[in-house]
Amino acid sequence: MPNHRRNLANRCNALKSTGPRSVAGKRVSSQNSRKHGLNSSPDFECSCEYRALVELIAEEGFSAFACADIASGLLNYRRVMDAYYDTYTSPEPVDEFMRDMNVKASNPIFSELLSPSGSEPQDVREMAAFFASMQRQERRKGGPVSRRSSDTHKLIRYQRNGIARLSRAIRQG
Amino acid sequence: MLYNIHFSIDVDVAMPVEDKSKSLLPFLSSPKLLPDESEAEFQSGLQSLLSELDNPSPLAVALVSQLNECLWWIKRHTVDKELLLHEAMARLLSREGSNWMGSGNSKLSVALEHYLGGSAHKDEVDFIDQALTEANLTLSDLRAKAFKDAARHIKMVDDLIHRQHQTMRHLQRSIDSIDYKSRLIKRMDLELAALELKQSVKEVSSLDAKPS
Repeated sequence: MPNHRRNLANRCNALKSTGPRSVAGKRVSSQNSRKHGLNSSPDFECSCEYRALVELIAEEGFSAFACADIASGLLNYRRVMDAYYDTYTSPEPVDEFMRDMNVKASNPIFSELLSPSGSEPQDVREMAAFFASMQRQERRKGGPVSRRSSDTHKLIRYQRNGIARLSRAIRQG
Repeated sequence: MLYNIHFSIDVDVAMPVEDKSKSLLPFLSSPKLLPDESEAEFQSGLQSLLSELDNPSPLAVALVSQLNECLWWIKRHTVDKELLLHEAMARLLSREGSNWMGSGNSKLSVALEHYLGGSAHKDEVDFIDQALTEANLTLSDLRAKAFKDAARHIKMVDDLIHRQHQTMRHLQRSIDSIDYKSRLIKRMDLELAALELKQSVKEVSSLDAKPS
């Protein structure tokens, strides 16, 4: 079977999938859309980094409250920047098959793949339209650099909030 | 999992400030670099920033290392702007030439990257020249068109660079604040010492003035 045809058959079969059925599978897929976890509020106070930072900052003449604020602000800022790095270095991969496929030329393959289920021309057109829209989406996302730029761009507000929190804690301390 | 903080603290609280600032370097400045980046260059940037501070406290060192990281990100994003243009140029060439899609975008991107970097083989040069001829474009036309095509993503990268500048401004203000605080504490200590001295002089003089 030619490579293009096989890839297309795999994609068409994947469309028939109804998603995970087991509890474990559902648990895994429930995390699919999770990107960075920066909306959660972690408890830094239990970490040894936090305690060591607080001790260190206290020696600089900050009050106990200020030390706690600065330490958690610094750890939070680091958390954001680590997520920033991870997002930057692992963008969503480019689906070259989808990007480069010729949808019009694939119509005979669609009709062949759909024929066992007694497909009609309307079904083939719908299938082609579906793949064309997927292709548009894929092309709109651009190459790896565009993807990593737009993914990282989503973290701007976390960085802004993180640095503002740290800076405020230091200046008010 | 992105929560984990990628550093560890190994600081003895009884150490003098100078030693602490040195031992804090691996704590907050352990860089997360890309495979083709030089750690020596990163560290030399950090050292030059630190050398501008007069006896920095551990917190100031931590903030300066964050500042150095921002500078590093600005450098990365600036390179990205050029890469975005290259990506858009490859995309446009691929779109313009009717027979290029079949050979795949990746081959075209690689060839174009080498072509623009001046390290292309002869067959890559021919490949790109042919693509440009078919698309009826010169390289500068292609670049201008690519700029327009990639404008949205270039704007995003500009936003990212702007954000790093803003972050640096925050960090600088924080460093200034720490510096001012330490100066203020020193000044108050000196004033207190002067007051104590005055007081003790007064006591001595009053004792001297008393008739024995």
